[in-house]
Formats: sequence, C-alpha cells, structure tokens
Amino acid sequence: MLLPDHQYLCADSLQACLKTLRESGERTHVVAGGTDVIFNMRLRLFQPDIALSIRRVAEIQQVEELPDGSLRIGAGCRLVDLAENPVINERYPAFADSIRAVASTHIRNIATLGGNICLKTRCWYTNNSEQWRQGVKECFKTDGDLCHVIKSSSLCHAINNADTPLPLIVLGAVLTLQREGGSRDVPIAEFYQKDGMDHTVLEADELVTHVTLPPCADRTVFLKIAARKGMDFSQAAIAGRASGTGSQAGEVRLVLGSISMAPIVLHEPARLIAEQGITDAAIEQAEEKVRAELGELTSLYARAGYKAHLAKILVRRALKALREM
Amino acid sequence: MAKHLISLTINGDTYEDLVVSDNQTLLDVIRGEVGLKGTKRGCTTGACGVCTVNDANGDAILSCMTHVLEWDGEAITTIEGLADTGDLDAIQKAFVHYGAVQCGSCTPGVIMSAKALLNAHPQPTEEQINEAMAGVLCRCTGHVKVKEAIRNAHRIEEVVSHAAGD
Repeated sequence: MLLPDHQYLCADSLQACLKTLRESGERTHVVAGGTDVIFNMRLRLFQPDIALSIRRVAEIQQVEELPDGSLRIGAGCRLVDLAENPVINERYPAFADSIRAVASTHIRNIATLGGNICLKTRCWYTNNSEQWRQGVKECFKTDGDLCHVIKSSSLCHAINNADTPLPLIVLGAVLTLQREGGSRDVPIAEFYQKDGMDHTVLEADELVTHVTLPPCADRTVFLKIAARKGMDFSQAAIAGRASGTGSQAGEVRLVLGSISMAPIVLHEPARLIAEQGITDAAIEQAEEKVRAELGELTSLYARAGYKAHLAKILVRRALKALREM
Repeated sequence: MAKHLISLTINGDTYEDLVVSDNQTLLDVIRGEVGLKGTKRGCTTGACGVCTVNDANGDAILSCMTHVLEWDGEAITTIEGLADTGDLDAIQKAFVHYGAVQCGSCTPGVIMSAKALLNAHPQPTEEQINEAMAGVLCRCTGHVKVKEAIRNAHRIEEVVSHAAGD
C-alpha cells in the first residue's frame, strides 16, 4: 500500500530542521530512521503534510565524552552503531543490551536512538489497517472520544513499547530538546506522560537532539520478554540499578516498560530492597509490592493478567541478576 | 503531487533521472519504476524482511520502510546484483546445494540478509547467524537448512565438488 500523499523534505542541517519545525511543526512529522513513522503512515495513523527527514543532520550523529565524565549521544545515531560503541558497552552495559533488544538487525541498521525514545504508543485497536479500523468506532487516536481498551477511561491507554528509555531512566539520562532560538534539558524520567495520545512533553516545534548520560559506577541490568527474541515489541521489560556489591544496596532503581502508557518507576519495591538489601526474603516482599504500582493494565502482545505476572517475574530476575554482579 | 528526479545506483548500474514521488518507498521504485521484481513486497510493517536489500556498506535494510528520496545519489544491491556476472554468488550456490528454498517467496530477503551477514563475517558464529537472520521469516522450508547454507557458504565450491565425487 502506498504512503498517504505528503511532501518529503530533507533537512541538511540542524538549523534547517528547526526552521521547518518552527514554520510548520504542527503539520510536520520528523523522520529519523523512519521504521516507526513509515509504518504508522501506511496505516494512515499519521497523515502529516510534511515528512521531514533528519538522516543528513550531521550535528546529531556524534557520541562525545564530556569533561565531567558524562557521555553525550546524538539522537540521530543509528542503533547499530551505538550497540557496537565500545564506550557504551563498557560503561553502560544495560543500555547497550536494551539497544540490541530493539527489533531486528535490519531495523537497527536504520533506526535511531531518538526514534526509539520518541516511539509512538501502540494499541491493539488502532495499530491495524484503515479498513479494519472502519469496523470499530473512532477512538482518541482516530479523532473519536473513547478508549476501546478501557471504555470508562477519559484517556488513551495505548502502550509505550520503547526499550531504550528504561535503562536511560535508571541511569538518570537528560534529553536536550531544541527549537529555533532555544533549547531545554529534560530528565528523561520527566519526558514521558501517562497518556497514550500525548505521551511525551515534546512540543511540535522541538526536536530531541541529544541524550546525556552521567557517569555510573553502579550495577545495572536490562531484561526483556517478547514472543520472539529477534523481532517483537516487548510484552514487558525492566531496567534495574543498584549501588554497592553483593546483597548490599544503598540505592536501588527499577523501571518497567511496555506495561502502561509510560515507563513505570517502581518506588515501593526499590525502597524495600534499599532498606533490607537484595536478600531472598526482601525480593519476595518486593514482588508483592509490584502490582499496586502498575495501575490499570491492558493487553498488547500479552494479556493484561499475564503482564502483571511478567512484571513480578522481571523484578525478581532483575534483582537476582544485580545481586550476582 | 510533485515529482522529483533522483539518481540511484542499483547493482552497479546508475539510473539517472528516475522520476519518483514523495510518497514512494525504495521498494516501490525498485519494483515499479526500475522493474527489478526480485525484491519482494511482504508485510510492509517491518516484520517479515522479504524486502531486504543491501546498502552501500553491505548492511541489510528494509526497502519498504524508507522513503526513496532518502536514497538519492546512493548505491544499493538487490538480489539481482548477486549473480550479475552470470555465475551465482557463493551464498546462492549454498542455498541451492542445501535445499534452503521451498516456495521462494522469502528467498530474496533471506539471501540478502545472509549476504549482509557474510559481508561483515565471512565465517559467522551461530550467535551471529541467529541475530542477523532474526528479522526475516520463512514459513515453509524452515530455518535449519538456511542456517546450514550460511554456515557453509565460505567453502561451498569444496562442498559441491566433494558431493559430485570429484
């Protein structure tokens, strides 16, 4: 099926890209690798007037080490290059694992980090062909006013399936969002919103240009469960971080993904482990505290009840993996 | 909708002044405008891999998931490019020898994915094969023979002549 009619523009510099976004951001969709955008355009879920390619914007394709020990990664870097980057593999192994967990080699050869961070939320109803959607009533995503997944909800419950944001949240990464004549830094944990429609704080005239990772000496882990290892979106995924060694852990962070409209930072389980250490007894208690923090669950790539089970299992596996490191 | 003139090098042949529109993908132009029908159209969602071609670095990319205008001035290789001297490529010979083809619908995508792997790793490990081939689906012949062909592609002449009793 052909893509809907639109104008294709290729920005050859960051300045040119931001200028187009200022002039016509509302009517424009940025295309980095395009693997998510083109898919959604083909389904007629995105019908922008302009597709703005940033593949030739060289300013956002560098990985730089900053004097304070941080690593600044251009959002336009291809996932395949980042997965092979020796500095990322050495200093941020969980982040490297999450990059390798995204889709297949084919997709990673063209998809970018910025694209995965901005990945649109997905849902069993809307991520279908236009003809299929005509058989059901319009929902929030298709200019209607209901959510098929949770009928009583006033919000869209489409799920955020991105993998790389999870380790970026536990690592305390900061995103740089640029617009013409200005720029702001947003911690990635504050970038996402619990709304399937308006799932990030990114404005129409802004572009995610860089991701800055502070130094991290703690143990980190990333685990993903999907139907097939090579290709599928996660049924559930987790990133974890713990200071200390062995079962000692002063500070613990756990973030679950592919469960809800935004990544879920688990507070109570992390607090419990930080207090008691990563012992078998504490892990058992932490698991029991997971469900309460997940909120309403919906089914995408796995049934809601199974997702609650996976969340618990992933917390257990992540904590045990951290203890072994 | 506006038309554009682009140049695209496919299998070493440069197509100047290809007339394309904004909403065409690389696959649309390879099949529709240039007329090379070896590259197949499958799921068009990035899940099946049958539209795989190789970019100038020899990496596997999905031609249905990218605007053709992204590729103005660039070079790609399609399945037709592997045998353009008249002789089959080693990976194609291996597919024939090991019977890694059944209905053939996915074969161009499977072979171009395998070719990309062999470009980077002429003698790949099991793990490298699994990772490189995870993005393409074959629903009839299975993946065992495909993997056997890839594993032995680097020494296929020897395998074939041995089998023929030379």
